[in-house]
Amino acid sequence: MEEIQNKVPCREEQLNDLFNLLGEGDECLPCSIFISGSMATGKSLCVNSVLRNLNYKHVIIDCIECYTPKIMYEGILSGLDDEEIEVKCETLMDLTNNLNRLQEAAIGNNPVVIVFDRAERLRTMDHNIMSAFLRLRELCNLNVCTIFITHLVYENFYFKMGVREPIKLYFPNYNKEELFKIIFLHQKSFINHLLITHEVDDDIREELEKPELFANFLNAFLSVFYRPCRDLIELQHMACVNFIKYCEPIIKNEINATDLSKLWRHISPILKSSLELLYLRISNSKAVNPSPGKENSDGESIPVHNFENTLKEELTSTKTFAQSFELPYYAKFLLIAAYLASYNPPKEDKRLFMKNHGKQRKRLQQVKAKAKITEKLNTQLGPKVFTLDRLLAIFYAILEEKIGLTSNLLAQIATLVELKLIAGSKEIDLDTAKYKCIVGYDFISAVAQTVGFNVRKYLYDFM
Amino acid sequence: MCGLASDNPLEVQIKLIRKYLKLKIMADNVSFRGHSQERDHIYDLFKRTVSHGESHSALMLGPRGCGKTTLINSVLHQISKEVDLSNDAIIVRLNGLIHHDEKIALKSITAQMQLENAVGDRVFGTFAENLAFLLSCLQSGADRRCKSMLFILEEFDMFCHSGRTQTLLYNLFDITHSEQAPMCVLGVTNRLDVMDLLEKRVKSRFSHRHLFIFPNEHDSQRAPQYKYRDVLVQLLSLPVQKVVKKKARSRRNTVSEETEPDTVLENSLPPHILARYPDFEHLNPDFILDWNQHIEGMAEDYKVIDCLEKLCYYSVNEQIFRNILFELVSKLSCDSPYIDASDLSAIIDKTVAPEHRVKLLQSLSILELSLVIAMKHGMEIFDGQPMNFEMVLHRYTKFANSNSSTQTVPRPVILKAFEHLQELEIIMPVKTTDSIYNGSETTANRVQKEYKLYTLAVPNEDISDAVKNFKALPTEINHWFNNSVI
Repeated sequence: MEEIQNKVPCREEQLNDLFNLLGEGDECLPCSIFISGSMATGKSLCVNSVLRNLNYKHVIIDCIECYTPKIMYEGILSGLDDEEIEVKCETLMDLTNNLNRLQEAAIGNNPVVIVFDRAERLRTMDHNIMSAFLRLRELCNLNVCTIFITHLVYENFYFKMGVREPIKLYFPNYNKEELFKIIFLHQKSFINHLLITHEVDDDIREELEKPELFANFLNAFLSVFYRPCRDLIELQHMACVNFIKYCEPIIKNEINATDLSKLWRHISPILKSSLELLYLRISNSKAVNPSPGKENSDGESIPVHNFENTLKEELTSTKTFAQSFELPYYAKFLLIAAYLASYNPPKEDKRLFMKNHGKQRKRLQQVKAKAKITEKLNTQLGPKVFTLDRLLAIFYAILEEKIGLTSNLLAQIATLVELKLIAGSKEIDLDTAKYKCIVGYDFISAVAQTVGFNVRKYLYDFM
Repeated sequence: MCGLASDNPLEVQIKLIRKYLKLKIMADNVSFRGHSQERDHIYDLFKRTVSHGESHSALMLGPRGCGKTTLINSVLHQISKEVDLSNDAIIVRLNGLIHHDEKIALKSITAQMQLENAVGDRVFGTFAENLAFLLSCLQSGADRRCKSMLFILEEFDMFCHSGRTQTLLYNLFDITHSEQAPMCVLGVTNRLDVMDLLEKRVKSRFSHRHLFIFPNEHDSQRAPQYKYRDVLVQLLSLPVQKVVKKKARSRRNTVSEETEPDTVLENSLPPHILARYPDFEHLNPDFILDWNQHIEGMAEDYKVIDCLEKLCYYSVNEQIFRNILFELVSKLSCDSPYIDASDLSAIIDKTVAPEHRVKLLQSLSILELSLVIAMKHGMEIFDGQPMNFEMVLHRYTKFANSNSSTQTVPRPVILKAFEHLQELEIIMPVKTTDSIYNGSETTANRVQKEYKLYTLAVPNEDISDAVKNFKALPTEINHWFNNSVI
């Protein structure tokens, strides 16, 4: 018990509950257990380690892998059957028959646990599957218990005709102290990771390995990151990235490892800027090693994308991303025109783009402008579709020079569609084609800046 | 097993008690209490079919967890002691959850009649032909009349497909009217309007014999918590007789059932279950006496009655109550060898009002909670109209700008937080797709994720509960929440 609590920290209560419910030896198991809790709260880890510790016969089915029930049934059977026989199992009836056969042949009274991870996926399957699994114990002779693990609460599972109610357990989030404790457990791997990526002298290395240094770093780190993010996996990843930066001045002998206030002043802007990269998994360093401290969560780890360095930098901000397309001059104007066409109401075109639109309606416009509600702004409701005619009209209106309508120009539109900057059909049909601009304001203003064009001036919302 | 290996006698006994009680709570599907009238009715039906060869059909209706299946089990158990059920009758049990498909049902019927060999590779034109063949097999087998058949259809409503024809039901009910074979068809369901689902031709062949079972029906003058108390005492008590005698009895019972009447022990498990677990003979009789006294003492405790009354307000589902008892019993250990009334009340509180959604809201990060609040405000202003990410972001930034103390986070991070909310189904898209997992939109009407419309899927009360009890919530957010519209 102690051993398992060391392995799964800060989950004593939940582990106890699970041990109690599952009992020991050939005790009777409960019919079904429903475990919910937000992401990265140790649900699967707890269940897995408890089952391994009890040494029960168990199968763990990840429902995300089971796009048909057949895969799930066969997974259950092959997990429970010691002999390597290919069992065909298409229906629930086959499953219960096979389970009964197993009971007679091998299992007897011994407890069997079937775990459904990501059980929210079961809802998209035939509705009787989950109902049947919730009462699997009644349907076959085994001493069986089904455990459902999901990040949704039980109320999100809607059963039309009701089901046999499971025993429900809830896994709360780790609080700040617990997060600190858990990440701190992995100090070793953080240090190792640091040592792999940097050449370090022996005396400095001793300094770095001091737990106080890491504790100080974690305090600073959590004070910034705890607010927007409580996901342990993500926090571990970000801590790893930032710890290297924290230690860099120490390695370079610029800051003494004991000078905490100086270190804090060094790290706080870095933490602020890396806050922008939270969840985005775009790391600036070339580190491709899997981030440390994730050994126990390998089932859930998202592969760290390894972009080329240049691409990474471009992706970090919309502005550089927009420039990375290196669009031709006219294509930029076409894109801007598409944006304007998408976010301006067509009846305002005349006023926005024509030189002599008359002033008689000005007073009315002002009244309207005051009545504008922010939630009803075009920029908030999303882009509208427009026709090719309108796009070209706006394009010529905002372009100072006069150019002919060549096939080259039309090909540019197709290119923009291909680049997924504009949504629409790839072939240009002059009469029926409908388009929609699907880039945001940030992107457009970055593009407009390169050609010296003020988008705001032509947007109805900002008038 | 492992309990016997340890030296501490207390531990051994506690483990045995725990195991016994767990078994009693979960595995005992034969003992049935109350509803004697309905039980007699079913008993009568089955008995007449088995011994007199009459045909019947009936429907048993009652809410979930009121003991419909247990009733049938107990009746079958009783009949099996009186007549030779395995030779005189065939029991076919179908469950709507598993056998709702006709082909599967037929396969299962064949298997339960043990006629797989007779059918072999034969191909049948229709369902009726197939069923008729099965019946004829039974008749021609020996030179005697056909065996009686008991069809028990659980989750009966699942057999009443609305789209397809109800072939199985039609054929079964049809046979009850013909002279082919004595057959009793008993449907079990919790759907009260099940008759409306039946086809006309099926309905006309059904005998319209309804049996309603309601949890609190028969003793209306007593409050339901006292019934629960009785159940509690009954389920948690151990068999009173001396263990030596019990051991002898269970052995004899396995050999010949008729010689020893089954009423020697009260509160005991039925012998066919006990036979699977031999190590209960190690239970110490003194311990049992002590334990039963403890249980009876507990049942008198007014705290226990209070808890049970609270439970009765929420649910009268006996399965839920059994789950509660199971959790209670599973807490028994060397350190806490007795059941504590406060444990019971804690488990009942947890079961009836889990408030997992509030806890889920409290597990959100401050940023995510702020988005939820922003969305709530927005929906209040616009009379519950759905909102997209841009609108929520607009409200949030308005708040963040007015409070200099809040750290600003960049837009992509907020978008991620928004997606996290969506994944937890705290917010739900309004479109035809009701979940992100079955998104089957066509490319034509696809909207960018920033502009997709969402509604809040959690009630306002839950949000305010969550905000009220949120640990270390910044005051400005609390303030913002309470002062609603900015």
